[in-house]
Amino acid sequence: MVLDSGQFLQTVVFGLVEGSVIAVGSVGLTLSYGVTRFINFAYGEFLTYGAYLAVFIAGGLLGMSLPLPVAAVIAIVLVGGLGVAVSRVFFEPISDRGALPLLITSIGLSFILRNALSAWVGVDAQQLPVPLLRPLEIAGIRFTLIELGVFLAALATMAAIHLLLQRTMLGKRMRATSGNRSLAETAGIDTTRVVRQTWFISAAAGGLAGILYAALFSPFRPHVGFGYLIVVFAATLLGGIGRPYGAMLGAFLIGLAMNFGSTYLSANYTRAYAFLILVAVLLARPEGIRGGEF
Amino acid sequence: MAILTGWASFLVTVGTIAAIYGLLTVGLNVHYGYTGLLNFGHVAFFAAGAYASAIATMPPPEQVTNASYVLGLNLPMPAGFPLSLALATIAGGVLAALIGLTSVRLGTHYLAIATFALAGVFGDVLVNEAWLTNGAFGMNSVPKPLRATLGADGWQLAYLGFALVSLFVVYLLVERLMDAPFGRLLKGVRESEAAASMLGKDTNVTKLKSFVIGGAIAGFAGGVYAHYLGSVVTAQFVPALTFTVWAAMLLGGAASSLGAIAGAFMLVGFQESTRFITTAYGWIQSVLPEALSGVLPALFAPLPDHPSFIPSVRFVVIGLLFVLVIRYRPSGLFGDPSEIEAMGEED
Repeated sequence: MVLDSGQFLQTVVFGLVEGSVIAVGSVGLTLSYGVTRFINFAYGEFLTYGAYLAVFIAGGLLGMSLPLPVAAVIAIVLVGGLGVAVSRVFFEPISDRGALPLLITSIGLSFILRNALSAWVGVDAQQLPVPLLRPLEIAGIRFTLIELGVFLAALATMAAIHLLLQRTMLGKRMRATSGNRSLAETAGIDTTRVVRQTWFISAAAGGLAGILYAALFSPFRPHVGFGYLIVVFAATLLGGIGRPYGAMLGAFLIGLAMNFGSTYLSANYTRAYAFLILVAVLLARPEGIRGGEF
Repeated sequence: MAILTGWASFLVTVGTIAAIYGLLTVGLNVHYGYTGLLNFGHVAFFAAGAYASAIATMPPPEQVTNASYVLGLNLPMPAGFPLSLALATIAGGVLAALIGLTSVRLGTHYLAIATFALAGVFGDVLVNEAWLTNGAFGMNSVPKPLRATLGADGWQLAYLGFALVSLFVVYLLVERLMDAPFGRLLKGVRESEAAASMLGKDTNVTKLKSFVIGGAIAGFAGGVYAHYLGSVVTAQFVPALTFTVWAAMLLGGAASSLGAIAGAFMLVGFQESTRFITTAYGWIQSVLPEALSGVLPALFAPLPDHPSFIPSVRFVVIGLLFVLVIRYRPSGLFGDPSEIEAMGEED
């Protein structure tokens, strides 16, 4: 088979765009793991709620139809609030019982959130009100303005999270809480508050990832986030759980692997490529590609 | 003449499905309850067993409409029935061995995610490899052994009996195993891997064995399920099934096979009885006096009116079960609290 360089570059571009969406999701997931020490199986629902709220708010849920970017921002804030709410109702009361009860509770929560949504609005497919655009073509590579926008929004989010972690007091507190919670407490950090703030950021990132995903891959249904969870998990583990920069790197690798697999092998197994990469890496380096602290 | 009508027929159906779920929970309990392994991909072993039975006993593709599969071994019934179930058991065990080889040595979170994702990938394989599984259309001519001889009702009753006896036998086998030194080794690995390996036990091999045993039980359950329904379709094997089995196990009591079985019967009973909500609603409405006839509609009017409402609420309840059992009764209804104490203290 002759390798067609145009198709190759095109696949790289798609891989990077999808990787950027995964990156937003997996950074959010890994941040909450850093301070709570359990993998949140309900995280996929934040993606779903982000996408659904954006559609509904844009469509007039709050009494008037709003332009999509405004609706998206409101949806992201609401999902962040949802994250804080579920952490207070479901996770804080059992936070002293170890990782296993928290993990199992998160599965129950994912059932509650997902099915409450489908009980309310049904399982009909929804679609973000994004216009169909003719792809631009630069140097033989085709992409739409939506794909470009998704990519830039994801990059901006990662830059913001980088600045948050490195340049703000909250970021320092989060890193301290993640590194050693009791030591952070001794140093006078209100770790309960830090955990709640982290939940907000983590869930909001999930909501954004859901909106970006929906912009790329419409239409979607209530199980969209739960289905994509495997991909987000793969990126998170690949980067080493609890490591935001590792998650970003892992996400781009997963995005590329999925798109190369679909283009050159078979489009039926996108999730499988994500996962095979992960298993291969875990067998060689159980701690993920990026060891070390934040 | 139909002997089984109304309630009797309902109870026979629920009993058979509950017995099959009982097998699944007993298998999962070997993983989680006794060994502490977080298996979030149980549905894959169940599906492997169901498909193994289907492939072993389906008629060749030329005799079936809409066939895109190439292999139907057409084992004769009823003589081939035990062989079909044996193949189902082996398929579940082999898949568990394959998944376990890659991931059983990983820590809690990694194992949970690895099993969850590998089961998802296995589901993709079932949907896409239509030459083997007939794809999303499903294999719908799995024979029901002795169905023609026994007649519809007789067969329903006989199969219920068979499922219950199978469950009982598997239960006895697992109990026997847990009383044996191997059972104590499993619990030892659950309580402290470090201590077990200090004593010279290879904990990874122990975990792999536990994984294969539970997977084989789930595979057997898949075989029993395939011959009960007579059809095997990919849509039956969704991740929600794994977590329904989890809910049943936690409700009944992890680390107790009897509790796990009780949990399965309660959960299946609940799920199946929600089918009657609309019937009950109609009945209440019909017996209410004229003056009150507006009450119920007014009460339920704000609820959304679409077909996925009741199924969704059913799963909300299952989700709540997870949360409430874990928070208020971690040992489940019939579990032994001292067995659960040591779990979840790793890391």
